[in-house]
Amino acid sequence: MDIGDLKKRIFIDLTKVKDLAELEQFRIKYLGRKGEITFVLKSLKDLSIAKRKKLGTEANQFKKEIESKIENLKSQLIKQETKTKEREKKIDITAPGIRIVHGHLHPLTHIMRKIEDIFQSMGFRIIEGPDIETEYYNFDALNIPQDHPARDAWDTFWLKTKPQRLLLRTHTSPMQVRFMEKNNPPFRIIVPGRVFRYESTDASHFYNFYQLEGLMVDTHISIANFKAVVEEFLKKLFGEEIETRMRPSYYPFVEPGFDIEMKYLSSDWLEIMGAGMVHPNVFKSVGYVPGNWQGFAFGIGIDRIAMLKYKINDIRLLYSSDLHFLNQF
Amino acid sequence: MKVSYNWLEEYVEKLPKPEKLAELLSVHSFEVKSVEKSNEDYILDIDILPNRAHDCLSHIGIARECVAVANSKFKIQNPKFTESKNLKTRDFITVEVQDRDACPRYTARVITDIKIEPSPTWMQKRLAAIGQKPINNVVDATNYVMFETGQPLHAFDYEKLEGKKIIIRGARKGEKIITLDNEICELNEGTLIIADAKNPLALAGVKGGKKAEITVKTKTIVLESANFDIKVVRATCRETGIKTESSIRFEYGLDPNLTEEAINRVTQLIKGKITKGIVDIYSKKTLSVRMRLNLSKIENILGIRVSKQQVIKYLKSLGFIINDSLRVTVPTIRRDIEIEEDLIEEIARLIGYNNIVTSHPFGLLGMARLNDELIVTNKVKTIFESAGFNEVYNISFVGEADIKKFDVNREGYIELENPLSIDLKYLRKDLLINLIKDIKDNSKTFLREDKAIKIFELGKTYRQENKKIEEERMLTGLIVRRSGKMKGESFYETKGLIDSLLNKLGISDVWYDDFQATPEWTDNIFWQRTETAEIKVGDEEIGFIGEINTTILNKLNIKAEVAAFNLNFEKLLKLAEEELIYKPPSLYPAAVRDLAVLVNLEDRVADIQNIIEQIGGELVFDVDLFDMYEGEEIPDGKKNLAFHIIYQSYEKTLKDEEVDKIHRRIIRELEKNKNWEVRK
Repeated sequence: MDIGDLKKRIFIDLTKVKDLAELEQFRIKYLGRKGEITFVLKSLKDLSIAKRKKLGTEANQFKKEIESKIENLKSQLIKQETKTKEREKKIDITAPGIRIVHGHLHPLTHIMRKIEDIFQSMGFRIIEGPDIETEYYNFDALNIPQDHPARDAWDTFWLKTKPQRLLLRTHTSPMQVRFMEKNNPPFRIIVPGRVFRYESTDASHFYNFYQLEGLMVDTHISIANFKAVVEEFLKKLFGEEIETRMRPSYYPFVEPGFDIEMKYLSSDWLEIMGAGMVHPNVFKSVGYVPGNWQGFAFGIGIDRIAMLKYKINDIRLLYSSDLHFLNQF
Repeated sequence: MKVSYNWLEEYVEKLPKPEKLAELLSVHSFEVKSVEKSNEDYILDIDILPNRAHDCLSHIGIARECVAVANSKFKIQNPKFTESKNLKTRDFITVEVQDRDACPRYTARVITDIKIEPSPTWMQKRLAAIGQKPINNVVDATNYVMFETGQPLHAFDYEKLEGKKIIIRGARKGEKIITLDNEICELNEGTLIIADAKNPLALAGVKGGKKAEITVKTKTIVLESANFDIKVVRATCRETGIKTESSIRFEYGLDPNLTEEAINRVTQLIKGKITKGIVDIYSKKTLSVRMRLNLSKIENILGIRVSKQQVIKYLKSLGFIINDSLRVTVPTIRRDIEIEEDLIEEIARLIGYNNIVTSHPFGLLGMARLNDELIVTNKVKTIFESAGFNEVYNISFVGEADIKKFDVNREGYIELENPLSIDLKYLRKDLLINLIKDIKDNSKTFLREDKAIKIFELGKTYRQENKKIEEERMLTGLIVRRSGKMKGESFYETKGLIDSLLNKLGISDVWYDDFQATPEWTDNIFWQRTETAEIKVGDEEIGFIGEINTTILNKLNIKAEVAAFNLNFEKLLKLAEEELIYKPPSLYPAAVRDLAVLVNLEDRVADIQNIIEQIGGELVFDVDLFDMYEGEEIPDGKKNLAFHIIYQSYEKTLKDEEVDKIHRRIIRELEKNKNWEVRK
C-alpha cells in the first residue's frame, strides 16, 4: 500500500472542489464509512506490527491533515457562498411596495373625531338628538319669538306629518332644551349632528350640513370661562399660532351673544362660531330657576371647520360621494 | 344697511375717521362689511343685528352707537318750524283708528301751499349716496326722515281724500287697491289699510296707493307718521308679497314714541304752510322700562370686575338714565332691553369682549364618561376602513324620480311641505337608494376588472308609521364588481365582513336565515331574492345581506354585480353593549381531519355543517369550509364541499382512535343522505 500515491491523488482531487456540495462528496469519498482513507485505516489490522506502527502513524496524521484542510476549505466556501447568496438576494429598494388595499373615512368623520377628542379631554359629554323636531324645541323654547323676523334667520324645511306638523331641525340648539329638561347642572356637553336649512346651494351653502352645539352650565360659568374653553379648543384643533377675537352678535337663546372670529393661515378674520350666555328664558322653559344657574352655549359649523382644515373649496364635495375626493382622506 | 358718513357727522361730535369708526363699530356694535368712498362721502355697509333693527336701521340710531363706541357726544337738533295761526289741523282732517292693537299710534299733520318740485340738492345727494332714487320734495323728505330716524312716513294728497277723513281699518271683502307701482292688489278681508271715507288709500305700514298719490298738481298734503303692529305688517307682506323699506322697519317693532319726533322733522323739511297742531291717536302710551343693576351679577356673568363708575359711564353713553344706586331707566327707543342680562350685554360689548381676560372654569373636572355608543361607532367605522371601504355621507333626501325608478313602496316615506326641488321631495327611508346612485357616478373611473368599489354609510333614515315618526340609524354598504371570480364572490365577501364585524363587536349567536322581506324597514324590491339572507342574532333580525336586484341595476344602467348589507345600527348598538365573556382556550391539543362531500347544487352548507356539529357534539371545536367547488371534474348538478373539522376537548388529550371514531360516525350520518357522497 502506498500512501504517497493516495496523498497525491487526494490533494489533486481537493483542488477541484468548487462548492460545499462537492466538498461533502469529497469528504464521503475519502473519509466516509466506505471512504478510501477509512479503508486504509481499517486495513492496518492485517499488517505486521512494525508496518502497522509505521503506516498507522502516517495514515492517522494524514487523516488529520485532510480533515483540517476540509474544515478550512469549508469555512472559506461558506463565506464565499454567503456572498453569492447576498448578491442574489439583494433587492431594489426603490421598486414600489406591494399595495395594501385600505379604505378611507369621510373628512367629516375625521374632523368630528378630532373635535370630540378635544372636548372629551376637557370633560365634555357627547350626546345626540333627533333630526326631526317640533316647532317648540326648535324655536319657542329657545326664546325665538313667533312672528318676529329673527325667526326668518332659520329657513326651515317643514314636513307633511300628522297629527303634528314637524320640521327638520335648523340647528343643534334644540338639544340644549331636551338635555336640560332631563338633567340638572352642573354639566358640560357637546351635541354634534346633521341640521337642515331651506336655502339655495352654492360653494359655501348646502341644505344639509353638520353642527356642533356646546353647553356648559353651573353656578358661576362666565364669559371669561367661555373664552378659556373655546381658545383651548381652537388652538388644539388649528394650532397654537392662530389668533381669535370676539364681537357682539345676536341669537335669541343667549344674552349676551357674540361671534368668534379666527385668523388661520391668512390675514383675514373668519367667523368660526356663534355663542353666548344662556338666556334666562331658556332656563325658564326647561324649569330651572334662572337666577340659580348660569352658563354658556355655542354652535360651530363642522363642515366649515373641515373645509378650512383640509382646504376644501366647495361644501357640496362633502356630500358628493365622489371617490376622487374621498380617497384623499 | 348703507350709512352715510357725512350724515352721521351731523349728530356726532368728533366722529372718528371712517376706517377707525368701522373698526370700533365692528368690535362693539355691528359688523361693518365695507367702507367705500363716494364723492365727498364715505358709505359704510353695516350689518344691523335683528334685535337692534328697530332702532338702528337709521342714521340717528347708528349715531347713538358711534357716540358710545367713540366716547363722544351727541349733537341734539330739535326741529324748528312755525305753525299757522289760523289754520288748524283738526279742521282739515279727522283720523279714526278702528283697531288700536293693530295701530297703537297714528300722528298726522297737514301742510298747505305746497309746490311740488325736485328736492334740494343736498337731500338728493344724501339719498343717492345710500342708494335711494330722488322723486320730489315731498316724497324725498319722507324717505329722508325714515333713513334718519327709522320711522317710516307717508304723504297723501289732501284734495283726493273723500270726506276729509283717514280711517285705519281692516279691508272689507272684495276691496282692491292700486299701489304706487300700479299693481292691483285684491285685499283679503281684515288686511289693515289706511282709507278715506270710501276707498283704501294705502296698505298700512307697507305701501301707498295710487288714489291719493302726490303729483305735480298736489297743493296740500297730509303727513302720516304711525306705529303698526309687527304681526299685522308681517301678515300684509305675506299676503301681498310686497316688502318695502317701510315694512322691514315695522316688522322689527318700532317705538311708538318715535312718530312725533319724525313727523316734526319732516314738517321742518317741507316748504309750505303748516297747520296748527298735530292729530295724535295714542291711547296706550309706551313707558320706559326701569330696572336695577347688580354689580356682582355683572361680575358673575363677565368673569371680570367692573366698577360702578364704568357701568354708569357706559350706560349713559348709550342714552340710558342711571343713578348712583344703579337704577336704570331705559329709553323707549331701546325696545330690546327687557331684563338685567340685556343691560349687562351693553356693558360687556362696550368694554369689548376682547378685553375680558380668560379664566379657566372652576369645578372638579371629572373624567368625561366615555360614550359607549361613540366607542362602538368609531370601532365600526375603523373596521370598514381597514376592510377597504370608503365612507360616504349622502344627502338625507330622495326625489320623486328615485321612488319611481327604484319602484319602492311609497308607504312610510315622509314628504316635505316645502322641498327645494322635486328631487328632494322626501326624507330617505333607507340608505340604499342614494348609495346605489353613488355607484353610477364612480363606476367609470373606479370600477375596473381587477378592482371593486366598496362604500358604506352610517346615517339616519326616517319613516312615518301609524302617525309615529321613526328615526333610525342604519349601517349600509355595497361591494361592486364587474364580475366575480367565483359565483357569489361579493356576497360571500360581504358575509365574511359582517361576520368579522359582529365578532369584533363581541356579538355572538349570529346566523343567516332565508330572506323574508319585512316591509317596515327594507323594501324587498332592492333584493335579488335568491341571493339574499337575513342576518340574525338569536331570534332578532338585525339586517340583510344580499345581491341588489338586477332589474334595478338595469334601470340605472349599472353594469356590475352589487352585493349589499343593510344593518339596523340601533339594534347593533344594543347588542354590542352587552358584555363580552372570555372563554379560556383548551389546555389539550387539537386534531384536524378534513372532509369532502359531493352534494347536489341546491344543497346548503349549513345542512352539512349542522350534522357535523350535531354528531360531533362538544368535541367538534370548529368547522371550517375551505373549498366550495362546482364545474370541471365534478358531475353535473353537483358541487364539492371541503371542510376542516377541528376536534378538541376541554378535559383531555384526544387519542387518534377517538377522533377517528367520531369522524367515522359523522361520515356514516352524512351518507345516510342518498344525494351526498363523502369522498375518501
